[in-house]
Amino acid sequence: MLTYVAKRLLHTLPVAFGVSIVCFMLVHIAPGDPLTSVLPPDASAQLQAEMRKIYGFDRPLPVQYGLWLLKTLQGDLGVSIATGRPVASELWRALGNTLMLAVLATVIGFVLGCLFGFVAGYFRGSWLDRLASFVSIIGVSVPHYWLGMVLVIIFSVQLNWLPATGAGPGGSADWAWDWVHVRHLILPAVTMSVIPMGIVARTVRALVADILSQEFIVGQRAKGLLDAGVFRHVVKNAAPTALAVMGLQLGYLLGGSILIETVFSWPGTGFLLGQAIFQRDLPLLQGTILVLAMFFVGLNLIVDVVQTMLDPRVQRS
Amino acid sequence: MRIINLGAVALLASLGFCQPSLAQGVLRIGMTASDIPLTTGQPDQGGEGQRFMGLTVYDALVHWDLTRADRPSTLIPGLAASWTVDANDKTKWTFKIRDGVKFHDGSVLTAEAVVWNLDKLLKTDAPQFDQRQASQGRSRIPAVGSYRAVDALTLEIVTRAPDATLPYQLAWIGISSPAQWEKLGRNWQEFAKTPSGTGPWKLTGFTPRERAELVPNKDYWDTTRIPRLDRMVLIPLPEPNARVAALRSGQVDWIEAPAPDAVPSLKGAGIQVITNAYPHNWTWHLSSAEGSPWNDVRVRKAANLAIDREGLKELLGGLMIPAEGFMPPGHQWFGKPSFKLKRDLAEARKLLAEAGYGPAKPFQTKILISPSGSGQMQPLPMNEYIQQNLAEAGMKIDFEVVEWNTLINIWRAGARHESSRGATGMNYSYFIQDPFTGFMRHLQCNLQPPAGTNWGHYCNADMDKLFNEVRNTFDAAAQSKVLERIHEKYVDDALFLMVTHDVNARALSPKVRGFVQAQNWFQDFGTITMSP
Amino acid sequence: MTAATLEAIAKVEKSPGYWSGVLRRIARDPVAMFALCVIVAMILMAIFAPWIAPADPYRGQMLRRLRPIGTAGFPLGTDELGRDMLTRLIYGARLSLTMGVTPVIIAFFIGSAIGITAGYVGGKLNSALMRTIDVFFAFPSVLLAIALSGALGAGIFNGLLSLTIVFIPPIARIAESVTTAVRKIEYVEAARASGASGFTIVRVHVLGNVIGPIFVYATGLISVSLILASGLSFLGLGVKPPEPEWGLMLNTLRNAIYVQPWVAALPGLMIFITSISFNLLSDGLRSAMDIKA
Repeated sequence: MLTYVAKRLLHTLPVAFGVSIVCFMLVHIAPGDPLTSVLPPDASAQLQAEMRKIYGFDRPLPVQYGLWLLKTLQGDLGVSIATGRPVASELWRALGNTLMLAVLATVIGFVLGCLFGFVAGYFRGSWLDRLASFVSIIGVSVPHYWLGMVLVIIFSVQLNWLPATGAGPGGSADWAWDWVHVRHLILPAVTMSVIPMGIVARTVRALVADILSQEFIVGQRAKGLLDAGVFRHVVKNAAPTALAVMGLQLGYLLGGSILIETVFSWPGTGFLLGQAIFQRDLPLLQGTILVLAMFFVGLNLIVDVVQTMLDPRVQRS
Repeated sequence: MRIINLGAVALLASLGFCQPSLAQGVLRIGMTASDIPLTTGQPDQGGEGQRFMGLTVYDALVHWDLTRADRPSTLIPGLAASWTVDANDKTKWTFKIRDGVKFHDGSVLTAEAVVWNLDKLLKTDAPQFDQRQASQGRSRIPAVGSYRAVDALTLEIVTRAPDATLPYQLAWIGISSPAQWEKLGRNWQEFAKTPSGTGPWKLTGFTPRERAELVPNKDYWDTTRIPRLDRMVLIPLPEPNARVAALRSGQVDWIEAPAPDAVPSLKGAGIQVITNAYPHNWTWHLSSAEGSPWNDVRVRKAANLAIDREGLKELLGGLMIPAEGFMPPGHQWFGKPSFKLKRDLAEARKLLAEAGYGPAKPFQTKILISPSGSGQMQPLPMNEYIQQNLAEAGMKIDFEVVEWNTLINIWRAGARHESSRGATGMNYSYFIQDPFTGFMRHLQCNLQPPAGTNWGHYCNADMDKLFNEVRNTFDAAAQSKVLERIHEKYVDDALFLMVTHDVNARALSPKVRGFVQAQNWFQDFGTITMSP
Repeated sequence: MTAATLEAIAKVEKSPGYWSGVLRRIARDPVAMFALCVIVAMILMAIFAPWIAPADPYRGQMLRRLRPIGTAGFPLGTDELGRDMLTRLIYGARLSLTMGVTPVIIAFFIGSAIGITAGYVGGKLNSALMRTIDVFFAFPSVLLAIALSGALGAGIFNGLLSLTIVFIPPIARIAESVTTAVRKIEYVEAARASGASGFTIVRVHVLGNVIGPIFVYATGLISVSLILASGLSFLGLGVKPPEPEWGLMLNTLRNAIYVQPWVAALPGLMIFITSISFNLLSDGLRSAMDIKA
């Protein structure tokens, strides 16, 4: 087990290294002089010289990368062009908001997905299977930003039950777990949960169908025996994979929250990314992407290790 | 008679005159900006930033009179109690600083503090020089040459050349507290978190991109302007829909620039939608840089003739005044331009053909636009409509969309700067209140970036001569005559794509009482109360 | 995919009748056939848009803006600039399908080439190629697409480029693992031992076994790509106005949800229908070829 964890870590480090290079290169693939990408257009000569020194734009790329990496590892993600505030501080606040949303969406998606998937797999071939499978394929096919709009139309515009946007009356700054605030979370979280719901349901259905087709179980069921026992067996065998899928989905939701957060003006990392793009705020863009991608890399590692612990037979390649 | 009396009482009550001593509630405002404007004294985010984070927390030497809704605002003394120009040397101005004014941190305002503030913007090697504020403030005061504190309450400013518009320019400059800056370790980042000015509001805290909270400055020097509210909360809501939704669900009490499509439903829900004329225009600022197709007057005229301004008014639910010139129709400087801004597609096509464009050489160019912003009205559908109008005349337009604050930065950088990405025009909405903001800063030769905001690098000897005449004419009536000639040249040479003027629409919940909407970009929030 | 399933795929005897069998099976799948019909209809609609559409997609009239669904002359209403919605939805198929399908096709070729090369050659080249692929695979797909097009700037070409880069890694990974599995099968080993040239082996034995699974995988990606591509336009990073594209239309109509909510929702419905059709077809293909997910 320990050697497996060590092996996975050894595999993850170069990937993380590569990810940081890709993020670093974002400033350099932007059209034009990289200096103008990290400076306001009317920057004084003094500021220009300062930034040139900080980023070392006159030095060879590997050296620039080294300097940048060193600062990043110390938690310094640079300064936002648009606001002059450190990127790291903006990012941490936004990350909390997005985590809240993504975790809730993953939980909703997982619960519903398991339910639909299990029903479909258990009653394979029946009309229940077809219905549940249809719901899950909708989950993976629907443009979720559009679904968000439709939910807003129904529940905010027409019925006026739930707020359309924002993170509550006081913004996320004075977030509290009371109804006044939580009702702002409902529509975005539900919208966000459809993709994990669909994917988890499809995975669980396949798993359950597979397990149930094992001879041992077929025998048990033929005898009309032990539905509870069969259930336990299915859960035990399907859980590791289902949990792994859920973990990865959390990562995808964190990284892909931009569309949902744009629709709902949710003050998270995706919203921040959107602003960074239209303010041409490359340090902010770079920092946000880096942190989200690293989060995903770390999550991948954790999922692998946990999955192996639960079920040592599975070692994902 | 009785009914009329009751009406008057109700009116007075609604203006807040009858209940000055009650607790007056919290006003939450949804702004169009996407972030809290810079809080250090010289806000970003254009006119809206100045409205909410400039003239609330800070005072300028010169103020706008915002007490009247029925006439254009005029200048009144602010932190300067009075000012004079030297009769012999028209470049030398003396400002008497108001006595006994205190910053929010308790320190006292002096002429030295004002000098310190001008250094903050203009003197790059001063310790308090702040790049971010300088970016915002420098181009507002191009006339200022040198300055000194004569004594504790006397400030002298010498302009580069005689310039009658100096007071208008100074009305933009907020005075921040040197003592607070010293106390916070000479650090503007720290100052931004706990700023200190002399204004009627104090900033008690803010979360970037989310909200800012202001409370009344009970010791404000002008006691008539001490705010009645308990608190004012500013919330950035750049999306028109998000603003409407927030207002309707009671998350905010006031929104700037409601989406015109939502106005009927807002009115139906009992929301007050108020409008008023103000010195604003919404144009495409055209580039005169080398290679710009707009260097040909025929092309500029063709574009102006292609715009269907009545159709645009339809798009905006009537919430606009179609442009007849650069200044709003009926303005005292309008003059008698001979070029009429009407829709005439045939003439537009003819002009375009004369300029050499046609099927063999189609007209195509790139324009910078923003999705939302101070005074920008509804930029995306409006620009798309104009794009359609111009396409009908045979002009193909590509858009480059950037966030409003970024557009402002590009505007300062100039059409030749890399950040303009080769665009030959930008959609900009202008504050056109005085000769300087109305005319000079856009087209004066020596105000080309980076010296000023002549974004398009326009340079014309006749125009510069007219501008000089304005600066040297200290008699108002005679000055007005020159300004008319300038405006005639603006229109007859079709120097901008002149599209429309905004009507300053804002939507207020029925609870908001006592607001007087001045004919100005800026407003006074002091008179407002909230009914329970 | 686990190694065991890959083994199973590769072992399927690809007799001459195999593909006709697949075709026969899928033709008997009513859901997949229906999905295929919808897709073909969409493609025909895109190709023949100028002949089908009742109006000019670029020209509108302000006086008739934001009309509801069912207005005489405008069966699906009009948009915020008074343009016929039906027309714009029909024209929208052109860019939306192009933006959605092209990246997958390009990524299919590039990704397969990389994966098959890495899998067949193995050794150091495999490690070098696959570790690079792993780096891109380590990004959540939406994030990578946004990062690239955010840095490159808006526009159709940049959008296509970003999406293609996003889809190369997953395809390359599948291609590599299937190829590696196939390479180890006895008859391929035998062919290598008998001195057949590398190219011939790849062409005859590897491609025949490998392309199928990759193809099925790629068809499943199309729906993701459609949603992502329209998502980019929805954010203002893809197609620019006034071009009709479903994601962009959804974006510009968003301000009208208080006035004509259902008209505003139409472009999203088109994306949804297309995307679910591709998914259903992909599922049908998968079961017809007997490939386990």
